[in-house]
Amino acid sequence: MFGWEFPPHIAGGLGTACYGIAKGLTKNGVEVLFVMPKASGDEDQRIAHIVSADQVEVDPRYSTYFNSNQNIAFIEFNSKLIPYIGMHDYYTLIDQLESNVFEEVSSHRRHYSFAGGYGGNLMQEIDYYAAVAEQLAKTQEFDVIHAHDWHTYKAGIIAKKVSGKPLVVHIHATEFDRSCEGQRNDIVMNIEREGMMAADIVCAVSDLTRNIVINNYHIPANKVITLHNAIEPNKKEVIREKNVPEKVVTFLGRVTFQKGPEYFVETARKILEKDDHVRFVLVGDGDMMSGVIERVAELGISDKFHFTGFLRGEEINKMFGMSDVYVMPSVSEPFGISPLEAMQAAVPVVISKQSGVAEVLHYVIKIDFWDTNAMSDAIYGLLHYPVLSEFISKNGFTEINNLKWEYVGAKLLEIYKMLNKH
Amino acid sequence: MHNLCIHFVLSQPTRLRNYRFFDINSRHDYFDEYQNHYLTNRIADLSYRPLNTLMLELIAQYGNKVAFSFSVAGNTLKMFQEYCPEMIDSFQKLILAGQTEFVGSTFTNSLASLYDKSTFLEQIHHQEGLLKELFGLHPTSFCNTACIYSDEIGEWLHEADYDTVLTEGARHILGWKHPGFLYCNPYNTNQKLVLRNSSLCNDIEFNFQNQSWDQFPLTAEKYLHFIHSCPKKVPLTNLYFDYEMFGETHRKESGIFDFFKAFCELVANSDDIQMITPSQIESLSLPTATMHAPWAISVSGEEKDTSEWLGNELQQEAFNQLFKLTELYTKSDNEKAKRAWLLLQSADHFNYMGSQWISHPSVKRNFDVYPSPYQAFINFMNVLNDVKLQLEKA
Repeated sequence: MFGWEFPPHIAGGLGTACYGIAKGLTKNGVEVLFVMPKASGDEDQRIAHIVSADQVEVDPRYSTYFNSNQNIAFIEFNSKLIPYIGMHDYYTLIDQLESNVFEEVSSHRRHYSFAGGYGGNLMQEIDYYAAVAEQLAKTQEFDVIHAHDWHTYKAGIIAKKVSGKPLVVHIHATEFDRSCEGQRNDIVMNIEREGMMAADIVCAVSDLTRNIVINNYHIPANKVITLHNAIEPNKKEVIREKNVPEKVVTFLGRVTFQKGPEYFVETARKILEKDDHVRFVLVGDGDMMSGVIERVAELGISDKFHFTGFLRGEEINKMFGMSDVYVMPSVSEPFGISPLEAMQAAVPVVISKQSGVAEVLHYVIKIDFWDTNAMSDAIYGLLHYPVLSEFISKNGFTEINNLKWEYVGAKLLEIYKMLNKH
Repeated sequence: MHNLCIHFVLSQPTRLRNYRFFDINSRHDYFDEYQNHYLTNRIADLSYRPLNTLMLELIAQYGNKVAFSFSVAGNTLKMFQEYCPEMIDSFQKLILAGQTEFVGSTFTNSLASLYDKSTFLEQIHHQEGLLKELFGLHPTSFCNTACIYSDEIGEWLHEADYDTVLTEGARHILGWKHPGFLYCNPYNTNQKLVLRNSSLCNDIEFNFQNQSWDQFPLTAEKYLHFIHSCPKKVPLTNLYFDYEMFGETHRKESGIFDFFKAFCELVANSDDIQMITPSQIESLSLPTATMHAPWAISVSGEEKDTSEWLGNELQQEAFNQLFKLTELYTKSDNEKAKRAWLLLQSADHFNYMGSQWISHPSVKRNFDVYPSPYQAFINFMNVLNDVKLQLEKA
């Protein structure tokens, strides 16, 4: 299994999902070898055998991956240009950009070194990662190759080529979700399509994503399967504790186009017009942050609208403990694990219909992301009619306890078995 | 001689508009006039008018060989008055034609009978007033909202002078007993209970177009045969249908009207079965047995209970909050708010909040405007909050 991240060090939902899938498979008796660019050593080895790509020795002379492009010459130069990030991020990143990738040459054999994450040398790291994958495919015993999201598709494709084993690619998000029209990255989209084409089975995390894969990437529908995500039971109980008298409405996610933070601001304005006994909290960071702050100031609701920046682990639980409503107005959300986390903390949830998670949840209020009227009505209703919010949070809690990774693993095992029959 | 009683129930909810929290305490127009106008006319065209015309034709042709009864909720009559007055004429013609009986009901298809006597009687009096005003008649039989009935409701109805009550032949109450006999209230044996034969009703309602049904297709002869296959001593077959079943659930193209016409002709021409209306049952002087209904029964679902409207916490909360205002209602003289309060009692509003729609949102619901039970609840509560404020003011 190839994945770019694995808990505890994660940047978003991808790592969480990889962890869940690996765990679900293990529960169903599947042995998982999880290859990630750079393991930190504190990953849970009981879930999967974690292989850190930077620990694998590769001899590029024998690499099909590097030698298959012999008639093309690659000239590398150290550019600080990074694909698919906006101007804003570029300038903040440029300072941090120390070249993290270097090669330790000892004769021809070498270890590639990875920074992990999604830094400036991502494209180069993806190539090195693929070379590692090839090496592993030659030396390891396995039945199925499973690659998560586009970063690992090149690795998946080469591994399939060398080993002849079936390839499953797993779509957690596509470039169509991440960016709006005109800002999409062609390189990424090409890699995505290449991976999907090469795969024997494409797993999409929702019907919404499945449709994107079929309609926008033109992948034959019969090999695209929807496999909804699940959630890990939360071991820590969230303590409901609030230090403000007002009701608290929370948004949690990257402050980017995809997550629709501007609709959250509009909704806040509408509700505050009628009822100022509410506070709105925006948790997260991203390229739209300054725009959102400016809009909040312009509307003059800064006294009731708060920004926390990026939060993790314990802080998120604390935030849920304070929240009366959780809102996810995503414009396009392949799945969306965070509403599940909110429901686990017994917070009633309002989500956009344009999210994959809406397909599996019943005890949530679903609205169109652009319909800030409906969104404010729903939030107002949850804040003012305690029976409703109790009904939703109580039943929602029961509902998500039935979304288990174990079941996802079982379905995946079926797919693996089917692939190995052919 | 076997007796066949065919009763039609007509009720359209007065739909609420999308009443936003902004509107609370500032705007007091709760109803979606456009939707109500459009949908009333649409269903009148599809169902009500053709069925009434068919009944008129049958009566003209067969005279006292055919008989029908119907109950029409007051709020629906009000909508006819406003949006499609020719329906009122149509009913007037039916009443004049004879061989029909107008059965009493609540004014707004209300759930009041599940709350208390006074609000229930208030509903009945409103309906009686309206029937007097429109048609100059006073009903003697009663068909409650979705045939909701219990021993207690029976007593209240007796107080309101209704001693023939139409309700469901609920199997969990009847046990082995056949709904084709005449039953009575155990505490007041003068009150006759006319029970719906749900399996025969289902044969049309659910199976008329069901091609996987082993008896498909249903013909008039086959249906009459079903009726005759009951035990010899059973004197009654009572069939209650929603008007919408003709023309809406089963479209004209399905042949439902032709089926019904053929069936009535068959009955009119046969000697061993006659059509009657509920109030005529008394004169048959049939033997009666008591039927004890300690809890409310209804025609709803498989359970034949009230869970369709009061099954989850949202519905119960809305119900309690609504009927808590009874006292305010009696004290207030804000007629508009009072009328709105009566309309909010409609069972349809509670149906929209039902849990059955949570897990099966894709099931097409007739004329339901809400995307989910939660939105139905929020909208209802927003309106209720404003109605409350209005009742308090006056």
